[in-house]
Amino acid sequence: MSGKRLSLERKKMLAGYVYIAPWAIGFALFMLYPLIYSLWLAFHEVVGVGNFDLEPVGWGNFNKAFVLDTQFIPLFISVVQDAVINTPLILVFSLFIAILLNHKIRGRAFFRAAFFLPVLIGSGLAMQQLLYAGVGRDTLVNGIGVPEEVFLYMGPTFSQIVFDMLSRLTVVFWKTGVQILLFLAGLQGISLSLYESARCDGATEWEMFWKITLPLISPIILLNLVYTCVDSFTDINNRMMVYIKDTAFTKIEMGYASGMGWIYFMFIFLLLIIVFVATRRFVVYTGEK
Amino acid sequence: MKSIPISKSKQRLAEQPTSIASKAKALRNNSLLSRISSKSRWFSLIYRIFVYVILIDLAFVFLYPFLYMITTSLKHPVDLMNFTIKWIPTSLAWENFYYGMKGLQFWTHFKNSALISVLSVVGQVLSCSFVAYGFARIKFPGREVLFVLSMFTMIIPPQTIIVPLFMQYKTIGWLDSMLPLIVPSFFANGLRGALFIFIFRQLFRGLPWELEDAARVDGCGSFRVYWKIILPLTPPAIVVTTLLSMVWHWNDFFEPSIFLTSEEKFTLPMMLPRLYQSLDTLTGSSFEVFSLPVVMAATFLALVPMLLVYLFLQRYFIQGVERSGLVE
Repeated sequence: MSGKRLSLERKKMLAGYVYIAPWAIGFALFMLYPLIYSLWLAFHEVVGVGNFDLEPVGWGNFNKAFVLDTQFIPLFISVVQDAVINTPLILVFSLFIAILLNHKIRGRAFFRAAFFLPVLIGSGLAMQQLLYAGVGRDTLVNGIGVPEEVFLYMGPTFSQIVFDMLSRLTVVFWKTGVQILLFLAGLQGISLSLYESARCDGATEWEMFWKITLPLISPIILLNLVYTCVDSFTDINNRMMVYIKDTAFTKIEMGYASGMGWIYFMFIFLLLIIVFVATRRFVVYTGEK
Repeated sequence: MKSIPISKSKQRLAEQPTSIASKAKALRNNSLLSRISSKSRWFSLIYRIFVYVILIDLAFVFLYPFLYMITTSLKHPVDLMNFTIKWIPTSLAWENFYYGMKGLQFWTHFKNSALISVLSVVGQVLSCSFVAYGFARIKFPGREVLFVLSMFTMIIPPQTIIVPLFMQYKTIGWLDSMLPLIVPSFFANGLRGALFIFIFRQLFRGLPWELEDAARVDGCGSFRVYWKIILPLTPPAIVVTTLLSMVWHWNDFFEPSIFLTSEEKFTLPMMLPRLYQSLDTLTGSSFEVFSLPVVMAATFLALVPMLLVYLFLQRYFIQGVERSGLVE
């Protein structure tokens, strides 16, 4: 009896591996192998372009990135700076919008559709064309409806600062579509009975936000945080990405490009580990696990 | 003797509704919003107006790129120079769209884009849901480790592995073909494949086990359970995955720009930076004639297929996100 059961269990286990197989094969072919190869490549330099003759250079590529290349570190810092400034803005803003959209309001479907639309443009070439055309420069200024007279009174320097800030915000806002949807899904998942019982105990809306809403959507905040970070580091308008691509395919310094890619990857990896460790105490998981 | 308890219970019955009502009233009075609204209705009115003003204002910011694209694409160059005209052109310049279509060589590149994104979507929906079924519903040793590993692939920047991939595809002769863009999708990889595995897994985990057990008792193999029972129960996840995967593949620029080299194989968005060049060679005139409106018309044309797909799937999509178990 037990022997038969074991074999059934084993059959089921094998079925599990069959289901994972497509991913495992794809992972080995399109992720793991290239990743290991690129690490190996990072310690080499391509000398013969025609047939990829490699020459070991040791830590040369890493040395080049940090010491010799005058462009790498400034670019890296600017990319990190963008991510550090944009990520909290995106999170706070998308949570704010999601809470507003979670109200019972007229035209909710329209608003939800509207806030998702920029995702269709994405960060692709269409977005680049729009930014070249100057969209985003004055959008938020128009949206808030700041009259031009105000800018005249503020003086050129100060109004320039405000203007730059608003135009930066506009582009940041357009990146929030996916995050708004995730937050909305999270907010809808909180059962109303929790709010009702809190209300019975005399909690204010403000207290309910901090004591119920925020802890219960904390897993989604973490998910969004990770998603936003990764998204901003791998955006195609990201100058670091463009620089690595140019190094590899225009200057044909593939070893160096791999080296930079690995520095970049290790950085994101460490950053996410820090994020996970730092947020572990604040993320609340309900349910079985 | 018996009449007293009956009358008592009747009395109690008569009392109950009022007591419940008064309790409920007390509860309602206790809640903050109604406490305020009973003090002053103005507060809630002002709060509502505030919510609408903010939403309408921000919706404008989000719709702006589309409004700008559409109105600018219909402007004559004369209207563009005229500062008194902000949104509505004096006359509609439909020929911008004609030039846009021509400059993009719309149908050729539309076919490429559509082929790549439709096949990738089919591949990702099928393979990611298949793999997710394994991760969600079957217990086997090493499952958690493998799942973490699959999520881990989300954070690998494409730049890190692009050089070896390029060499790999060069060796097997896939360069300048659509294969590098499509095939990984069928292996539950491709653009953000890990995210889609995650979405499907979350939803599959929430489905009742009784369904599956019943099917198995009736002699269903696990593949049939996945294909006939689990997958049909999850249209929300399918819609969400389809739309996101479609949009991301359609707009992707990094990989196509590396793997595709001959122009007739380019995707539609890849033609945007070549618009002027392509118009010059096609019409034999200088690009000064074509200006911002034509660029905007072309940009709009490159996005129109995604807009149509979104309009079609929009309702299911937003419901889908709410129910797709993206919530932990």
